[in-house]
Amino acid sequence: MEALLTAQTSDYSPEMAVLSQPGKTDEAGWIAKAQQADAGAFEKLYRMHIDKVYGLCLRMTGNVAEAEDCAQEAFIQAWNKLDKFRGESAFATWLHRIAVNSVLGRMRKSKREQDRIQLAGEAHESPVVQADTGELRDLSNAVDRLPEGARHVFVLYAVYGYSHDEASEMLGIAPGTSKAQLHRARRLLAQQIEQEQERL
Amino acid sequence: MSDRDDKLIAEANKLSTEISPERDLWPGIEQAIKVPQRSRWTPRLAQAAAVVLLVGASSMVTWMATKDQARVIEVVPVDLVFEQASFGGRYALGVGYQEAHRDLQAQLDTELERLSPEARKEVEENLAMIRGAIGQINKALTEEPDNALLQELLVQTYREELAMMKRVGGLTQHVMSREDI
Repeated sequence: MEALLTAQTSDYSPEMAVLSQPGKTDEAGWIAKAQQADAGAFEKLYRMHIDKVYGLCLRMTGNVAEAEDCAQEAFIQAWNKLDKFRGESAFATWLHRIAVNSVLGRMRKSKREQDRIQLAGEAHESPVVQADTGELRDLSNAVDRLPEGARHVFVLYAVYGYSHDEASEMLGIAPGTSKAQLHRARRLLAQQIEQEQERL
Repeated sequence: MSDRDDKLIAEANKLSTEISPERDLWPGIEQAIKVPQRSRWTPRLAQAAAVVLLVGASSMVTWMATKDQARVIEVVPVDLVFEQASFGGRYALGVGYQEAHRDLQAQLDTELERLSPEARKEVEENLAMIRGAIGQINKALTEEPDNALLQELLVQTYREELAMMKRVGGLTQHVMSREDI
């Protein structure tokens, strides 16, 4: 693998690109090593998953500093809990669960959520929106302005594709509440989008 | 679900799920995980901690067994204070502990005689268990002399030993005072 990664450009072939992608086997190996307290292997896992974890944290918090803290905390917790990871779910899903817990824990402690809503109300463009392109920015902006409960469910269900059962388990709410929050999120988003279109 | 809702979910599904942080978060994570949190629970340490827990539970059983003999039950304070000390192969125990231990051991040898054979056996077994735990923790400390958790565990175990010795002394005095009446 190392040889392929350092191959000359002239030797390049599409098969090599596939081989150089970190695959499930690599991930399993790094997990096993990290479980033996190998920080180097854990860094590989971090590099592999940070964008997914940070993306989730940013979409759930809507705040760069909070998202950075949550992502860091999630990886630190993952390191401390690695011996409990048995591979029953995908590693990415396991990390997502930890990240969601980290976000919820921080939000419970913090009043920054209120500050965040106020800032969102001032129609500034959030860092979450900047990650999206074109028409999606309007939707991203609207999602970012949703109240916390509705936003969390919408992000997990509609953006990340988790089922109501999975989302409710992650958020520590009943599946019925998850459905109700999604309904609320849809209604609020539709209102926001309509208002935006009328304004234009 | 209406068509508009379907469209909304479909659009939401196109939003980026992977976003790169503006700065590398790894250095902070690396710093946090390099604190030897995971390595602290070595098998030896876990074993020693388990022994300490067992000792704690067993001490309670001993106390329950011996309290009946005393009839008059009085909580014996266990606020033994001895000098701050570090342990393991590298360090020696404080003089305060050494003196307290020596005095209590002499007292214990005398007072054990006043207990019933069953209670005496119970106390001796518990003390042996505590001293075994102390030996194990000290052994672990020779490998990890700066392990704060091990040091704390050792202090706690030494306290447990002194407290048990003192407790036995207190109980036998009660037995004596009641029998004198």
